[in-house]
Amino acid sequence: MRTTTIMLAIILLLAVGTAQAADSAKVYGKGISAPDTVRISDVLANPDAFVGKAIRVTGLAVGVCAYRGCWINLASDTEGESLRVKVKDGEIVFPPEIMGESVTAEGVWTANLISLKPAEQVKDGEGKKNAACLVEGEDACKTVYQLSGTGAVVAGK
Amino acid sequence: MFRRVCRFLHRELGFLTVGLTLVYAVSGIAVNHAHHWDANYRRTREESSIGPVGAGPTEEITPRVLELLAPAEPVKSTWRAAPDKLQVFAEGARYDVDLATGSVVRDGFAKRSLLWDVNFMHLNSGKGPWTGIADAYAGILIILAISGIFLVKGRKGLAGRGGFLMGLGFVLPLIYAFVIRSG
Repeated sequence: MRTTTIMLAIILLLAVGTAQAADSAKVYGKGISAPDTVRISDVLANPDAFVGKAIRVTGLAVGVCAYRGCWINLASDTEGESLRVKVKDGEIVFPPEIMGESVTAEGVWTANLISLKPAEQVKDGEGKKNAACLVEGEDACKTVYQLSGTGAVVAGK
Repeated sequence: MFRRVCRFLHRELGFLTVGLTLVYAVSGIAVNHAHHWDANYRRTREESSIGPVGAGPTEEITPRVLELLAPAEPVKSTWRAAPDKLQVFAEGARYDVDLATGSVVRDGFAKRSLLWDVNFMHLNSGKGPWTGIADAYAGILIILAISGIFLVKGRKGLAGRGGFLMGLGFVLPLIYAFVIRSG
């Protein structure tokens, strides 16, 4: 009986500790550490200048990847513009509740050549490998910029 | 003596982990089919209309839209996504308002009761202390598996049917691993 009581007490303590940790978790992935925040409008106005650089941005979360939570769109300080923060599937999962919240995210700004072919004509893996772009030239492709996110923090209400 | 220890460990740890096993098993089925459905959220889509609002400055349009929309949920923020589109973010819902036509699409989401919780645990989304609990559970599963091998002697044990079934359990993943690697 005594052993059972001790085990129950340990389980309860662990459960309470875990619940509290989960409740206060508004930090995703590695959080943020970059010293300065870059304005999203500045990044979008001159995207090539930031390619390969680690940057931190802040904006209202206006879209979230359905089902997997593997990206969020952050609204720019210029009306109508937004920037995508893509994270590794499963490593960070953004919940739909994040929409409408102010989010600061950081990562590396990347440029990817994506085939302009309709999705059904792109063979498996072609989009990622840019094979169509390499074979058919850059006119057959467009550059998609996004932040390869490593962490994010949601501002408190 | 060895078999008695195995039986003790298997019985005690087995009882201890019934709850966790159900958590991981139920969530396992749910997340296995993540490409078929949203295992964490129940989603709804409703369409309605508030009538054309016009395309004025955001500061003027937003209060008018909120007044006409009168969402039941507390509003968190709004965003002018395009000259003719305003998005309203509320607790548990997003409203897409077409300012020219007045059509409204409400995308609602609510955590699935129980499933959201077990998926959160299974995927270790909270990290922190749960990582230790999940590691301990995995360790206990190893002890359960190994102690289970020695529970029964004779024809139904390792030397007989039990051994055959155990071999089958090893062969299935091995064949699958071979197929996916050579595919």
